[in-house]
Amino acid sequence: MKKLIRFTLNGHEVSAEVESHRMLLEVLRNTFHLTGTKEGCGQGECGACTVLVDGLSVDSCLYPAFEVEGKSVTTIEGLVEEGSRLHPIQEAFVEHGGIQCGFCTPGMIMSTKALLDENPHPTDDEIKRGISGNLCRCTGYVQIVESIRKAAEKY
Amino acid sequence: MKKFDYYQPESLKEAYGLMEKLNGEARFIAGGTDVIVRIKQGALHPDALISLRRISALKGLGNEDGLSMGSMTLFRDIERDPAIARDYPALGEAASVLANPQVRNVATIGGNLCNAAPSADAAPPLMVLEATLTIEGPGGQREVSIEDFFRGPGETCLEHTEVVTRITIPKKRKGTGMAFLKIGRVAQDIAIANAAALIVVENGVCRKCRLSAGAVAPVPLRLKRIEGIVEGRKIEPDLLDRVAEMVQEDVSPITDVRSTAQYRKTVSGILVKRAIKEALDRAG
Ligand SMILES: Cc1cc2nc3c(=O)[nH]c(=O)nc-3n(C[C@H](O)[C@H](O)[C@H](O)COP(=O)(O)OP(=O)(O)OC[C@H]3O[C@@H](n4cnc5c(N)ncnc54)[C@H](O)[C@@H]3O)c2cc1C
Ligand code: FES
Ligand code: FES
Repeated sequence: MKKLIRFTLNGHEVSAEVESHRMLLEVLRNTFHLTGTKEGCGQGECGACTVLVDGLSVDSCLYPAFEVEGKSVTTIEGLVEEGSRLHPIQEAFVEHGGIQCGFCTPGMIMSTKALLDENPHPTDDEIKRGISGNLCRCTGYVQIVESIRKAAEKY
Repeated sequence: MKKFDYYQPESLKEAYGLMEKLNGEARFIAGGTDVIVRIKQGALHPDALISLRRISALKGLGNEDGLSMGSMTLFRDIERDPAIARDYPALGEAASVLANPQVRNVATIGGNLCNAAPSADAAPPLMVLEATLTIEGPGGQREVSIEDFFRGPGETCLEHTEVVTRITIPKKRKGTGMAFLKIGRVAQDIAIANAAALIVVENGVCRKCRLSAGAVAPVPLRLKRIEGIVEGRKIEPDLLDRVAEMVQEDVSPITDVRSTAQYRKTVSGILVKRAIKEALDRAG
């Protein structure tokens, strides 16, 4: 089964013919070549595939592509600001060592965006809860929490 | 991954029609956090999924006379609802420790119950709150107490074409306290064990006690024998110790990747005891 789906992707109206068993992650990476969004586990455990749908963070590996019809999707590529400047959250991760291999980073940053959009001044506990759906095998999380704290100061 | 068709009906009637037409080879999908994972793991092979997301009759959260939730209510919304936090904190707490933000943003309370994992975090609070499930299918509507809903791991009293439409909880009585507790390997993981307690106290005596334990039997348990021991008594340390021992007798856990049966048994007794204490602190 195939269908033409229409949605907003990083601020632009887009459409694509999609097979019914595809997840949003596959459409983003394979159809739109937005490879910033990563596939780690493919099963909702790691958060590497996190994107925002209508402002809420979701695991795109579990999100049926047909369900995105009419919705607004933001990926890590959509955070880059005018003049190709990094988003303040991205800057904070770069400056404060929140990135090592970088595989978890797009998902981590999208979860941070969802957190700060709802709660611009989170406590450390709220930060940890906010990224509890994102695994990082490199940093040990300390610098990530620090990066989010610094990003919040500029939010 | 196996290919499947994907239907998005706008009404229950349309959903039943599709389910009947597809003759047992289709499944409903709510948030998909169980069903998609199981398809990817090869544990399920449906020819089609029928999405419940566009059916407005399954949405909405109201608390005029008790609490009424559409089965498609998201854990995200339960976690943030001020009336639930105030009047039904055991449910709010369970919602806030279920999985992680990305999962809670799509996972539904109906999906959690219909998936029927013995560890389902929504089950113990709804058991002690004596929730009723409204079930609808092509043959009509019926109401089932949550106690009679679960039949075994992954099994419920639902027919293949039936949908849980609403979950209702009676109005909270004065002097009621309640709590939900969970132990996982890490915060916000599937439970090694979970438990809920609801207590009504009058003049220091327990007038009503409802207890439930999860992940320690093929289905989430109501602990009726133990409720009977607590009711009519003052809740004191000796009684609580006896409760913890009785819980260990009444559960029948398994060993799996998350925990051993023995640990589950012990911790389940302790969780129930602590949940009663916390409920008692909040009663009145
Ligand atoms: C990373 C991760 C962590 C998790 N952690 C937890 C946890 O801590 N605690 C916990 O309890 N669960 C946890 N889960 C399991 C899952 O997220 C929950 O059970 C969730 O509530 C399922 O809801 P859903 O809407 O996604 O259901 P779906 O996957 O859409 O559906 C589940 C099942 O119910 C059926 N169904 C759904 N709605 C209805 C309905 N209204 N009527 C009839 N049938 C229906 C479907 O056909 C399917 O068989 C976790 C899952 C993941 C991926
Ligand atoms: S790839 Fe989606 S959660 Fe791991
Ligand atoms: S930086 Fe390598 S996984 Fe997080």
